[in-house]
Amino acid sequence: MRRHHFEDIHGEEDENEINLTPMLDVVFIMLIFFIVTASFVKEAGLDVNRPDAPQQQAPPEESNILVVIDSTDDIWIERRLIDPRAVRANIERMYAENPQASVIIQPNKKSTNKMLVAVMDAARQAGVPNVSIAESTG
Amino acid sequence: MRKNQGAFGAEEEENEINLTPMLDVVFIMLIFFIVTASFIKEAGIQVNRPEAVSAEKQEDAAILVAISPNDEIWIDRNRTDPKDVRVAIERLHLENPKGSLVIQADAESTNEMLVVVMEAAKQVGVTNVAISTEGDY
Repeated sequence: MRRHHFEDIHGEEDENEINLTPMLDVVFIMLIFFIVTASFVKEAGLDVNRPDAPQQQAPPEESNILVVIDSTDDIWIERRLIDPRAVRANIERMYAENPQASVIIQPNKKSTNKMLVAVMDAARQAGVPNVSIAESTG
Repeated sequence: MRKNQGAFGAEEEENEINLTPMLDVVFIMLIFFIVTASFIKEAGIQVNRPEAVSAEKQEDAAILVAISPNDEIWIDRNRTDPKDVRVAIERLHLENPKGSLVIQADAESTNEMLVVVMEAAKQVGVTNVAISTEGDY
């Protein structure tokens, strides 16, 4: 009698249980898909400030540090030809004279990206928070 | 005979593993990967990035634009004409309006194309633009 009763309940329970295996298969396949497609792209980069960013007032023209890169990848600051290694020291000096200044880089169309990034890097190392790129010349 | 069957059934039930905790874990992992999936569209070419010491990790890069050494612009594995850059950036920007733009310009590429891409980004309204560099942030 007892055994009969037990068996009955057991049999009913078994039938009521949902078979989870197909759902598990689907969930695992979705899981694997999302793990595989997760790209987690890690880009290193230098942020470029917009010269006309609305939240900051445009400082007077003369207070900016203008760095010009010409078509032969030479760097000019204040009408003087600057060695790429000396850019940081020059920007640092001008920034110390005027801590409000931001660096504006004006690259020639023929200049290379390498020199532009070198100047941006130098400006950031000099501690200038605002570095922007003006429209290219020539 | 009936007795034997009963014993067999009970044994089977005891051997069954409870899958509920595993299912919980799997679902949480699934939700995590769905949420973090960004589906970045790679630019399509490998470029030789310029070196920079002060580079920062770009967290939410969503639009990648590559500029090859001979000044071709690549977006989403397609070579793009400078005139069509704005449309291509606009399309990617609509898919992820919060993402920033990363320009992967080759060290030897000219700044003409770089400025073209930056102008296009400005017209579309992408607020965050960065130039990709080599560096261990």
